[in-house]
Amino acid sequence: MNVEISRRRFLQGSVALSILGGISLSSDKLFSQESENGLSGEKNIEDVPFLCAMCVNKCAGFARVEDGVVKKLNPNPYFPKSRNMLCPRGNAGIHTLYDPDRLKYPLVRIGERGDGKYKRVSWEEAYDAILHGTDKFKGILQILDEEKDNRSTIGYCNGEGLSKEGFEDLMGQKIGTPNYVDEISICLETTLAGYFNTIGAYGEADLNNCDYLIIAGANRAEAIITPDTMDMFKRNRGRGLKMIAIDPRYTNTVANADRWYAINPGTDLAFVLALTYVVLKEDLYDKDFVAKHAVGFEDYKKHILSHNYTPQWAEKITGIPADEIYKTAVEFMRAISPIYYQGRRSVFAKNDFQLRRAMAIFQGLSGNLDKKGGIIYGKKLKLPKEDINAPMYGQAQERFDVSSVAIPSGKTGSWILFRNMVLEGTNPYPVRAMFMRKHNPMSGVPNTTKTEQFLRKMDLNVMIDILPSDTTMFCDVILPEASYLERTSPVASFGFLEPAIVQRKAAVKPLYETKTPEVIYKELAEKLTKPLWKNTLKYDEDVQDDTKGMNAKDLEKYYKENGFDLTDLYEKTVEESNKERVVKAFGEEAWKILEEKGVYYPNMKTYYKKINANTSEYYPDDKKFYTTKKDKLKVIMNFKNLAKKGVDPMPKWHDDWAFEVPEGQFRLVTGRHAQFTQSGTTNNIMLRDLIRTNYLWINRDVAKKRGIEFGDMLEVKSSVGKINIKAFPTDRIGEKQIFLLHGFGGTSKEMEFAYGHGANDARIIEDKVEPVYGGAVMHETNVEVRKV
Amino acid sequence: MNYAMVLDYQNCINCKACEVACKEQNNVQLGADKQRIWVGQTDNVIFGNLFVNFYPSQCNHCLDAPCVEVCPTQASHFVDGGLVMVDQKKCILCKGCMEACPYDARFVDDERVAVDKCTFCYDTRISKGEETTACQATCPTKVRMFGDLDDENGDVVQLLKKRKFFVLKAKEGTVPKLFYLVPENDEEYALQSIGHNNKIYTWDEMSPIIKAAKAKRSKQWKKS
Repeated sequence: MNVEISRRRFLQGSVALSILGGISLSSDKLFSQESENGLSGEKNIEDVPFLCAMCVNKCAGFARVEDGVVKKLNPNPYFPKSRNMLCPRGNAGIHTLYDPDRLKYPLVRIGERGDGKYKRVSWEEAYDAILHGTDKFKGILQILDEEKDNRSTIGYCNGEGLSKEGFEDLMGQKIGTPNYVDEISICLETTLAGYFNTIGAYGEADLNNCDYLIIAGANRAEAIITPDTMDMFKRNRGRGLKMIAIDPRYTNTVANADRWYAINPGTDLAFVLALTYVVLKEDLYDKDFVAKHAVGFEDYKKHILSHNYTPQWAEKITGIPADEIYKTAVEFMRAISPIYYQGRRSVFAKNDFQLRRAMAIFQGLSGNLDKKGGIIYGKKLKLPKEDINAPMYGQAQERFDVSSVAIPSGKTGSWILFRNMVLEGTNPYPVRAMFMRKHNPMSGVPNTTKTEQFLRKMDLNVMIDILPSDTTMFCDVILPEASYLERTSPVASFGFLEPAIVQRKAAVKPLYETKTPEVIYKELAEKLTKPLWKNTLKYDEDVQDDTKGMNAKDLEKYYKENGFDLTDLYEKTVEESNKERVVKAFGEEAWKILEEKGVYYPNMKTYYKKINANTSEYYPDDKKFYTTKKDKLKVIMNFKNLAKKGVDPMPKWHDDWAFEVPEGQFRLVTGRHAQFTQSGTTNNIMLRDLIRTNYLWINRDVAKKRGIEFGDMLEVKSSVGKINIKAFPTDRIGEKQIFLLHGFGGTSKEMEFAYGHGANDARIIEDKVEPVYGGAVMHETNVEVRKV
Repeated sequence: MNYAMVLDYQNCINCKACEVACKEQNNVQLGADKQRIWVGQTDNVIFGNLFVNFYPSQCNHCLDAPCVEVCPTQASHFVDGGLVMVDQKKCILCKGCMEACPYDARFVDDERVAVDKCTFCYDTRISKGEETTACQATCPTKVRMFGDLDDENGDVVQLLKKRKFFVLKAKEGTVPKLFYLVPENDEEYALQSIGHNNKIYTWDEMSPIIKAAKAKRSKQWKKS
C-alpha cells in the first residue's frame, strides 16, 4: 500500500500531550541505544515468559527486560501451540505497553457523554463514583435501589482473554446479573455450535499430516491462528498438502493455494451441499466409518439426493462451475487425509449454523475424524478449579435477549438483540448500567449508531481497559488496567494434539497508576459488597425471610455463608492461586519448569527436543493424542431435536438465501489482516508503520468504469449509515463485492495514532442476526458507493 | 566464518513479523522508506489468472560488495564473517552506497544521520551468543535459516546441498548471500515466481564462486 504521510510528521504528532495522558512517554527515547553506553555499567537482564494478548490466539514468548524496561519480545520455543514464533502484532506488544495514549489513572466524567472531558481521580474516588455516582451520573447503589435490587438491571461485557473469567465471576456469579454479552455473538458462535452439535467438538485440524484441505471463508495467512498458520504454509504447493481456497476475495491465503474459487458471499452452504450430493450419489464416502459412527445417515442421504443438490444447481447459486465442484468432491474423498477446514471468525450469513453443520457432516463422510491427519479431539491437561460461592438474588430477573432465538446459549447472549431490545424498549425490565472490560462494541458490533444510542441511554457506564477506545469515551468511570506484559495471569491449559499448561508472568510492574484486572475486581468487590448487601436486605424477600430476627453476628455469618460477601473470591492472589493449582495437579517440579519456561507438560524433559534453530519436537509422534474419542465418536447427520426448536434438523438450502445485489450496488465483505487485531491494536505505532489505514477494495474494471482511481475518496452508504474511505482498485475482488479491513476509523481523539485513519465497517454493517443463536451476520449488507 | 541466509520463500505469507522483529531488535527508524528488511510483492495476471508472489529480502551481504567499494570514508566495510557493516560515525551521507547497491537495501536513518541497513543482527544478537537473527527467530512459517557457509555440516550448507537455489540479480556479480530455495514439487509456482533470466544453482556450482570471492575480499575483513 502507498503511504501518504511521512513517518516523521507522524511522530511529531505524538509529542502533543493527550487530554488523558499527562505523562507522554516517548517510545523513541525509551528504546534509543543511548542507555547502552550509560554510566550504570552492568545491566540487569532478564527473560520473563509471557503469553501474548495482542490477539486471542495466545502465543508464548520471552520478554527481554533490561533494567526494568521491556526491550524485545522473543518467541518461546517450548510451547507446542505457538512453536517458536511471534507474529507482527506479537513483536509489537512493547508499543502497546508503552503506548503514550494509554489510560494512566482512574478518570471520572465531568463533561457530557462523548465530549472527552474527564477528571483524574484516585482509585478510591473512582470506586466511590461507581457506587454513589456524581452530579453527572447515578451510582450503582441508587440504580439498584430504584430497581428494588433487580441485579439484572446491570449489563456487562468483556472481550476474550485470560482475565475474562474473573470478570464473569464477579459480575455474573457474585453481583448476580445474567445480562452478559461478549465477543462470541459477534464472532464464531455458530461455528463452534455447528461443530459441537454435529461431531461433538470443534476439534483441531491436524495440518501436519493432512493431505487435502478445503479452506473456505478462512484466511490463515492473514488471520493467524497457531499452529494452523505455521503448519499450513510449510506444506502447501506441492509439498504434501493440496489446498483449495474458497473466498470472494483473493487473500494471501488464496495466493498460497493450489486452486481458488471466488464464491458468491453467503452461498458456501450450497457448495457444501453439492459436494455432499456428489459423494452420496457416487457412493464415495467411508462406509465403515459411517456405519459405525453416523446418526441418521439414511435420512441425510435421502434428504440430499431428493433435494437434487447437484453441482449444476450449486453453480447457479455459488458461481463456482459445476465440473469444478464435482472434481473437488471426488478429490476430497480420494485423498488419504482430507479436511474441510472448520474456519472461525464471524457469522457470514443467516445460514451459518447450517453451513457449519453441513461442513462437519461432510468431514464425517470422509471418515477422517479422531485420527492422524484428520480433525482430532485430542486431550486437555486438567487444572483444579476453585469453587465459587454464588449467592441467590430473589429480585434478579432472567435475561431477555435470547427469547427470540432457537437455542439460547446459557452464559452469553446476543449483542445485537440485547442492545436493540433495550433501545426499542422491548426489554421486560430496565437495563440501566453497563460494566465493560476490554471490549469495544462501538467498533465490533454492527450498527455503531445504535451502539452509541444504547450507551447514551445508560445511567452508568463503567470501563476497565488499557486504551481510550471509542466505547471508553462514552463511559462515566474509567479504570485503567495493566497491559498483558505488566501482569501475571491465571494459568491456562491448551489442549488437543500436544497439550500444555502455560503461564503469563508480569515482565514489569504496572505502569502509571494502572492495576491488574484481578486487583481491580477485588477492590471493586470490597467497595460494593456491604452497600449492595444492604440493598438486598432491603428488597429481597427470600433473604428477609431467612434472616428474620437474626442478630448482627448471625447476619454476618449468613452473608458470608451464602456468598453475598463479594470479596470471598479474592482471598488468594493470582500468583498464589496459580502455584497452588499447578502443584496440586502436577507437583512442585512442574511448577518450577512452568516458572522458568512459561510452559509445562508431563514428560516435557524427556519429550522436548530441539531439532534445529527453527524447529522443535514437543511430543514423540506416538505420544501425540491423535485418537482419543474412539467408539464414543458420533456424527449427527439428522439432528431431530433441532426440529422441535424450529431449526432444520438437516442442513437445507432456502431460496431466500441466494446472493442478490441490486444493480449499481455492492455486497460489503469485511475481514482481517495479519498486522492488526480489530480495533484493539490500531494505536500501536509499530503496526501503524506497516499499515496506516484501511482502503476500500473495489474491482479494477468497475472502478475504471466509474472513474475511480487509487486514493480517491469514496462514500459508502448502507441503510444504517455511511463512511468515507479511500479507494483501492484491484483485481483481487469480484465486480459485485467491495471489501474493507475491520478495526479502523475510530472516533476517539485520545488515540492519537489511530484517530483520523480509515473507516469503521460497523457503521455500515446492518444489524441482522442469524436465527439459531442470535449471532451478528456480517456479510449481508448491500451498499452504494460514490466518489466524493 | 562466512555468514549467509537461506530463504524458503515459498513459505512466506507476507505477515511482516520479520519486519517488526527487526525494527524492535535493532531500533530501526520508523517510516515506509526505512526498511532493513522487507517483503517484496508482485501482483500479476497471466491468462486471466491472478497470482501473487512474496519475496522476503534484506541486505545480501555480498562477498564482492559494490557499496564498500564506492564508500569514500570507509564507513561501509567488511568485517569477519563476511558481513558488510556501516560505521555510522564515519558516514557523510554522500549516498554513493545507496546508488551502488543493486538491491536497494540501504536507506538514510535521519536520527543517526547516517546510512542504515541489515547487519544480520550481528551487533544485537549473534555477537552476544544468539544463533538466530531476529527475523529468523520470529517467523511463523520459518522462511529463514541463518548460518555459516564455511561449515559443511551446518544447517545452511546442508540445505544448499539438498536443494537448488537462486540469488537475486546474479548478473551484477556481487556474489550475494541471500539464497532463495527453488520450490521443489510445484513447477507452476517456480515458473511464476522465478524470473526466466535467473540462473538456478546447485551447491557444487555456487561453492567455488563463494570461495573465489572470499579469497579476493577476505583480506579486507576487519576484526569486529
